Amino acid sequence: MRHLPLADPGSPDLRSPARYLLWTGRQQWRTLLVGVAFGVTWMVAQALVPAAIGRGLQAGVAEKDLEAAARWSLVVFGLAAVQAVFGVLRHRVAVDNWLQASFRAMQLLGRHSAEVGVAIRRRLPTGEVVSAATNDALHIGSAFDVTARFAGAVVSYVVVAVILLRSSVLLGLVVLLGAPAMVLLLGPLLRPLQRRQHAQREVAGKLTALGADTVAGLRVLRGIGGEPAFLERYRNRSAELQRAGVRVASPQATLDSAQVLLPGVFLVLVTWLSARLALEGAIDVGDVVAFYGYAFFLVIPIRTAVEAADKVTRSLVGARRIVAVLTTEPEIRDTAEPAAEPPTGSTLSDARSGLTVASGTLTALVSADPDESAAVAHRLGRLSDDAGVTLGGTRLMDLPIAAVRRRVLVSEADPRLFTGVLRDELDPWADAAHARGDADLVSALHVAAAEDVLDSLPDGLDEEVDEAGRGFSGGQRQRMALARVLVADPEVLVLVEPTSAVDAHTELLVAARLRAARHDDGRRTTVITTASPLLLDRCDDVAYLVGGRVVARGRHRDLLAQNPGYRQTVTRGEDR
Amino acid sequence: MSRRTLPVATSTQVRRQVKVLLARHRRPLVGMLVLNGFAALAGLAGPRLLGEMVESLRAGTTRGHLDRLAVLLALALVAQTVLTWFARRAGFVVAETVFADLREGFLTRVLSLPLSTVERAGTGDLVTRSTGDVEALARTVRFAVPEVLVATVTVALTVVAAFVTGPLVALPLLAGAPLIAIGTRWYLRRAPAGYLREREAYAQYNGTLAETVDGARTVEALGLAGRRTARIEGDLARAHDAERYTLRLRTIWFPTMELAYAVPVTLSLVWGTWLVAGGHATLGQVTAVTLYAVQVVDPVDRLISWLDEVQVGATALSRILGVELVPDDRVASDERPADEHVVVEDVRFAYREGRDVLRGIDLDLRPGERLAVVGPSGAGKSTLGRLLAGVHPPRTGRVTVGGVPLVDLPLDDLRRHVVLVTQEHHVFVGSVAENLLLARPAATEDALRAALSAVDALAWVLALPDGLATEVGSGGRPLSPAQAQQLALARIVLADPHTLVLDEATSLLDPRSARHLEHSLAAVLHGRTVVAIAHRLHTAHDADRVAVVEDGLVSELGSHDELVASGGAYAALWDSWSSDPSASPVH
Repeated sequence: MRHLPLADPGSPDLRSPARYLLWTGRQQWRTLLVGVAFGVTWMVAQALVPAAIGRGLQAGVAEKDLEAAARWSLVVFGLAAVQAVFGVLRHRVAVDNWLQASFRAMQLLGRHSAEVGVAIRRRLPTGEVVSAATNDALHIGSAFDVTARFAGAVVSYVVVAVILLRSSVLLGLVVLLGAPAMVLLLGPLLRPLQRRQHAQREVAGKLTALGADTVAGLRVLRGIGGEPAFLERYRNRSAELQRAGVRVASPQATLDSAQVLLPGVFLVLVTWLSARLALEGAIDVGDVVAFYGYAFFLVIPIRTAVEAADKVTRSLVGARRIVAVLTTEPEIRDTAEPAAEPPTGSTLSDARSGLTVASGTLTALVSADPDESAAVAHRLGRLSDDAGVTLGGTRLMDLPIAAVRRRVLVSEADPRLFTGVLRDELDPWADAAHARGDADLVSALHVAAAEDVLDSLPDGLDEEVDEAGRGFSGGQRQRMALARVLVADPEVLVLVEPTSAVDAHTELLVAARLRAARHDDGRRTTVITTASPLLLDRCDDVAYLVGGRVVARGRHRDLLAQNPGYRQTVTRGEDR
Repeated sequence: MSRRTLPVATSTQVRRQVKVLLARHRRPLVGMLVLNGFAALAGLAGPRLLGEMVESLRAGTTRGHLDRLAVLLALALVAQTVLTWFARRAGFVVAETVFADLREGFLTRVLSLPLSTVERAGTGDLVTRSTGDVEALARTVRFAVPEVLVATVTVALTVVAAFVTGPLVALPLLAGAPLIAIGTRWYLRRAPAGYLREREAYAQYNGTLAETVDGARTVEALGLAGRRTARIEGDLARAHDAERYTLRLRTIWFPTMELAYAVPVTLSLVWGTWLVAGGHATLGQVTAVTLYAVQVVDPVDRLISWLDEVQVGATALSRILGVELVPDDRVASDERPADEHVVVEDVRFAYREGRDVLRGIDLDLRPGERLAVVGPSGAGKSTLGRLLAGVHPPRTGRVTVGGVPLVDLPLDDLRRHVVLVTQEHHVFVGSVAENLLLARPAATEDALRAALSAVDALAWVLALPDGLATEVGSGGRPLSPAQAQQLALARIVLADPHTLVLDEATSLLDPRSARHLEHSLAAVLHGRTVVAIAHRLHTAHDADRVAVVEDGLVSELGSHDELVASGGAYAALWDSWSSDPSASPVH
């Protein structure tokens, strides 16, 4: 079996869903071929069983010949053994095919989401991306899984048709024309079923979302009441899903009974014709049983063909969604010819706001509208491209993204924590060669005034952080995220409202410790957007923005004394 | 952070619940089984009629007789087709009903879980149960259980038909059973754990991917793409391991079954010859039984291949039913509060044994006052808030309203007295109006508008594309955290309790809006008792009294001016915050 996940999922052909599927097939053509070989052997062995039974009944039972009966029963068993061996080999290869195709899609989606997530989220809700990466990827896998069985179905159908043709042209023609006719008749029955199943899945998806949403907001709900209203809503939707499910029942029952009727008609026809042939003496009793057996067996290839058609259709639909995610372009990208990196200690400046940040300073950005200062912060760290942002005179746009991220780190307003062991989450840049020691992590937590959070964790740094850090309170999350960027210890650190969710006591601690930790040697630069006097009082330099432009600069206390607008912003409109 | 997961039902409890469930839907279930039984019976005519055909062919017959047999075969087919239609339809309808019953029961229980459990267990585990487990169960209830029931009926009837055809002739049919039983037992002991591991691995992959897309901004800002990719592929590697394990199981199980299926056919040829030679059976009987042996393979195969799914479903069910096992954390008494006076008396509380978070708190809330609670993180402010809202029962001491302990009040009643609003903002899927109505389902549109206007939110709500009817929440129009918080506050305006606990309820608003909002709220909250846990000192400044909580105790209590004058910790903090240049710096 192919080792998965793949070291490199490759670069897919994204021109169309069909081309994506063909590309996927090309990547695993060997496995596909082996599967086909096994599938054909397996199914042909299965197709020959009725012949052996018929011979056994004729030569053994009818002739009362025990030796012949034993011989033919050994043949039956031998065919079963071939079927068992090749059946499982076929299954293993089919699973391999399925896994390769789905994992390749899952990997491609995973990588693309990690790299271009911001742009993807602008186009699609998270749920849709996740659904593409699971349901759709698995549908694609199913289409490749069915190839081996489909090949077996086609070949065994031809084998049975040839055997019958040799006994009777009429019987042979019944099989040769009847089987494809049945596939064509069953196919259309699938469509209304799929339509209703699709409708059912939509309703089911919404209901699951509603249930999950209610549960996610349970704390809020329980704090205020409103459970009866929610239960009512859920019940209504649940009843709707039940109705959608019942609507699926009729087409499903129709398909199931058609799968009884159509092969049944075939069976009756073949049995009737072969009984007449036997009466004429053209064939013997064993042949009649064998032909009945063939007709019975042919149900399997017919179902397989219908299934294959269905799976290919589904995988095309899935591929369309996957291609939609994979064709999302990143919002910022590296230039073809990156500029040389400016030396450390260069000045960072943003032409649009008129802000310059001298190396080594602790600078604050204050704005009555926090979005304005956040926008400046994002530009400074190249989270959005702007030609006016320079580091040491070089445009950030011309520098490699990796270099910008290494030197200028932005911690946005609502930084996310990720699931994992706390130690790894605090130092996500760690690799075998560079991992911070626990002492560094603890000291970063100290600066972020988050030691109490650490103390409250039974396993300390080995504690498993919940999904998105849900187990922490907002203030705790914020301090953990602050500790994380402090661990990175970048040349320039841009903090957007780093203490908006912590109490005044703690904010004061953070302000003092941040200054001590990053500004004792003048080599690091920190930019903070905030309106908190506790933080502002500790900054070297405060830039006051109005309408996105710097209108005043100086120390907090001076601005407080001289600029009424500034005073109003930081004292929350309170003139004392 | 204590992560107490929710209980899981034992297999005995699951069995008991399943029995109750089956009893509740007995009639349609029995009806469905009977229909399927008749459909299976019609399907058994084929081998019997073929045996008849073979026998008469050997004995010498007429064309007319053969045609009559063919017509009978066709009639049986028509009967089977029609019966199958009704049987399948009935099966799906029953399954939908049972599944609806299960999921609604689950959500009903979730919505009445004890407050302390919800607070403590967090929502992650519950969300998993309400999505992953409910979906796993859907597959079991919709497909696995009906398939298993129907296949069992079919297998039983086929075996009976074979024995009716010829008891002696049918004996080889049982020969495969021991191998099937042993093989399946071996497989079923291992498979469910393997499939669960697969499911968990894929669920983890889902979670990691969702987290990556949701946190795309952070991933980009911190340059974590490579690490997220590694994490995603690590999850996939685990999924692949799990897949390989179950594949190994099937590699042994599948061929065992295939050979076991071949045994009866193989034996019946030799055994039949011996019987026919001895005059104990006819060729027709042997033919029919041999064909039954072929025909029974399909239902046996379906039966056993769905059994592992049934087991997976049972595991999901045990987690869903587990929610019912959470004990209630309070028993409501008949006592009714005499007035609206909330008192805290010598309250101690610990989340974990031996680690008291609150260490003897006394607090007398004056009806109608605004009390600000300040203090460093981890001092126990939020815990105090939860006890004041009756979320947790205190370990010792009591929190009473009008002389009655809060935890002795029925929940509906409790909320008419005290409501807790935290900084956790959750916008529910639905319209803005629905988000508000949950606090007071009978509220008129005017009341909703008034509540929105009280929290400065009416303007932006009316500016939404459909105003109050705009769909918000996951998948709807995104709201900023500040807007979400305003909706949460509008809800309390509607809920109308006499006492409110606001735990950093305005922390997500920018400072100026927070200030403004608190002013507008003040008008609405006038006359109510408000406990505001705050990290912004202006909240404390505006309050009637300030309580400083440090290390699980109330260290200072008094009006803002009194505390500033007393020169304690609060005074120092205030000086620093208000940037009074004459103040001494605080460390």
